Amino acid sequence: MKAQMTLLTCRKLTKLFGGLVALQELDLEVRKESIHSVIGPNGAGKTTLFNCITGFYSPEKGDILLDDRSIKGLLPDRIVHLGIARTYQNIRLFPNLTVMENVLVGLHPHLRAGFLGIVLGLPSTRKEERQALEEARRLLKFVNLSGKGDLLAKNLPYGDQRRLEVARALATRPRLLLLDEPTAGMNPKETQEMTDFILRLRDELGITILLIEHQMRVVMGISERVTVLDYGEKIAEGPPVEIQRNPRVIEAYLGKGSSEELSAGKIG
Amino acid sequence: MARKRSAHGWRRSVKLGLVTGAVAVLVALIGMVEAFSQRDIVAELLSMGHALILFVLLFGALLAARGAYSAKGLAWGGLAGLVASLVLGGLVLLGSLIPLRQVFINASPVLFQLLSFGEEPWPGIPLLCGIGFLAGVLGGTIQMLPHSLKSALGRSVGAVVGAGVLQDMLRPILAAWGPLSELSDLVFEASGLTSEGALGILLGVAGGSLVWERKGQRLLKGIQNLPHGASKALKTGWVSLLVALLLLLPQILGLFLSEVLTIVGLYVLLGLGLNIVVGFAGLLDLGYVAFFAIGSYTVAILTSPELGFFELSFWSALPVAVLLGAVSGVLLGIPVLKMRGDYLAIATLGFGEIIRILVLSDFLRPWLGGAQGIGKIPKAGLGGFEFGTPQELYYLILAGCLLVGFVSWRLRDSRIGRAWMAVREDEDVAQAMGINLVGTKLLAFATGAAFSALSGAIFATKLGSVYPHSFNVMISINILCLIIVGGMGSIPGVIVGAAALVGLPELLREFAEYRLLVYGAALVAMMLLKPEGLWPEAVHKRELHEGQDDTSRSVPAEGRS
Repeated sequence: MKAQMTLLTCRKLTKLFGGLVALQELDLEVRKESIHSVIGPNGAGKTTLFNCITGFYSPEKGDILLDDRSIKGLLPDRIVHLGIARTYQNIRLFPNLTVMENVLVGLHPHLRAGFLGIVLGLPSTRKEERQALEEARRLLKFVNLSGKGDLLAKNLPYGDQRRLEVARALATRPRLLLLDEPTAGMNPKETQEMTDFILRLRDELGITILLIEHQMRVVMGISERVTVLDYGEKIAEGPPVEIQRNPRVIEAYLGKGSSEELSAGKIG
Repeated sequence: MARKRSAHGWRRSVKLGLVTGAVAVLVALIGMVEAFSQRDIVAELLSMGHALILFVLLFGALLAARGAYSAKGLAWGGLAGLVASLVLGGLVLLGSLIPLRQVFINASPVLFQLLSFGEEPWPGIPLLCGIGFLAGVLGGTIQMLPHSLKSALGRSVGAVVGAGVLQDMLRPILAAWGPLSELSDLVFEASGLTSEGALGILLGVAGGSLVWERKGQRLLKGIQNLPHGASKALKTGWVSLLVALLLLLPQILGLFLSEVLTIVGLYVLLGLGLNIVVGFAGLLDLGYVAFFAIGSYTVAILTSPELGFFELSFWSALPVAVLLGAVSGVLLGIPVLKMRGDYLAIATLGFGEIIRILVLSDFLRPWLGGAQGIGKIPKAGLGGFEFGTPQELYYLILAGCLLVGFVSWRLRDSRIGRAWMAVREDEDVAQAMGINLVGTKLLAFATGAAFSALSGAIFATKLGSVYPHSFNVMISINILCLIIVGGMGSIPGVIVGAAALVGLPELLREFAEYRLLVYGAALVAMMLLKPEGLWPEAVHKRELHEGQDDTSRSVPAEGRS
């Protein structure tokens, strides 16, 4: 069955910062075209996991496979070329570039123009640039930012900045998209819009999503699988319904003893 | 509440007056006033030295009167002016009582004469204070003028000061043009502008400015709305006018100004190169002069018969110099790839010094000429034409600037330029967008270095000789300053910055001694008043298709589908 195939696998992934264990022997499998959430209290190692997958950290032990090919130890720019893109917890756009330019930077892995071609304005270079502009416009339309392309990224409102960051990540044509708290700081309405948007990414573009999220309504609403981290260890994994009832998860979130007091399903 | 604010205003005026006074005393004691007073802006009425003091007082008063209206603004401005001139008067009094000159060599009798308007201290100091007060009131008045009048006044005073300061350059230019020479006689006399001329310029520019404020917008709009053919013709007209002007410039300006132009041109070349490294890619390189030296020395070694190695022509040495510049850019880039910001600046600073010390060393003397440098570098020739005089060299440098400007412009709007700017904005994210940091940074270093080496090569043939002391760290600092003043990452900004920071000091010999002070003041003023630079990088409009007009932008379906 195609839907059951794994896109990304982490095997016994361990990351240390000095004496601190940020990730400990983490096993993770992300299935193709699924929405997979990673949750856990602050400092549980979620963003560290993202940084390991995208190549910013090199894990001490374990392996990361994309389509059964190890990507551990590759530089971040190589990993993007293989089809993994990400957004950041605290939005990291290129603030002094325009919205269009931000997306065009995202298209970088797919442009070939060389120094001489650019300076001489060769027809192939110009054609490539025209197509890049076209694609950037299309992406802006997809994330509902048409008409704002010539604004500086730093001048966009918060919600638009979030969507621009996704558009920039989409420009790299990823197969796997890592979203780090995409609804952070959003009101319920914006959160709902973002949730629908994430579903669209998967349903319309067929992109596999790995999601870090704190708002349980979002996690429970759209994920097929949820992985729970605490102190760098996986403490639970499964469909959202199971996770909600898992006593260890409730304990990790609310402290020891809480699981008895709370009836299942009341988190969030 | 209102009383509290008012008290605050008085206090601020006194404070600003004291600061202004201190600045005026500083300007006087470092000898600027005396040096500047040798030139009259308006003959026998206003010298540059007095204008400088007046400018300082006015500026203080402008600040003091900020945010106030009606009589209060006048009073605050006047108070600031009075306090400042009292401080200055204190200096004059002190100077008449104790021999200040033993400590401050510029505190000469001539200076005190200037400050007390040629009078003895008794009527002189009150006179100074009176003028200071009036200047303050004037500043307060200016602060309260409506914006259009304010800018008209600023422009017209600027024009008069400009005409007065640049009289030595303007007069020969005007004199060479038949009917204009009569105008020149009308406006200028032996030592400065005539009073009538100054008044004429003042009123003319102010009037022009006011008319422009009123009608300018409509005119621009009219031009924008012209039918396609007409606007194209207009554009062609402007471009051909510009080209004609660029080609005829040395003939119009004469020998001395052409020499200044060539210096400015070399700095434009350097600036465009450093603009790629610092402005585009955000890599703070303080050893940039090294590549200038490498370009110069490569041409010198390859062409000079004094060393007798190769004796190539300039044109065969030029590509080697540029290539060697690019290679050395890469070589410098490799060890500093991981460095950012301050660390990068220090490391590159060291590189610049290493190159200078190498060319100065006795060890390399047989090849690089040591402290004596290398002489007898041949002129560049082109089919019988020789680039010898500044007026001829201008064309060589102009060609270089156009080439380098074109390359910069093409690169800016390309995959490579965007990669550079992404690295400048956020290196980690740039890498996460698939940008190879090593390649991108090295390409920036190499391109910038190649431009610098080109400038160095032309510099070598211009001078006919190269010496180690031409390549000190101040060149790097100058280039960096002109980029900051012009506008980081902006190609026209480099030209404006070079004209302002390199051209003006060359024209005003009074400035030469205070060049660094003026640089510092210019940088501080830029950071406070216009941090984006004189001609900042324009935001590039690229969402709409080319040739698409405004109507399609307003189709709502486009935005909200």
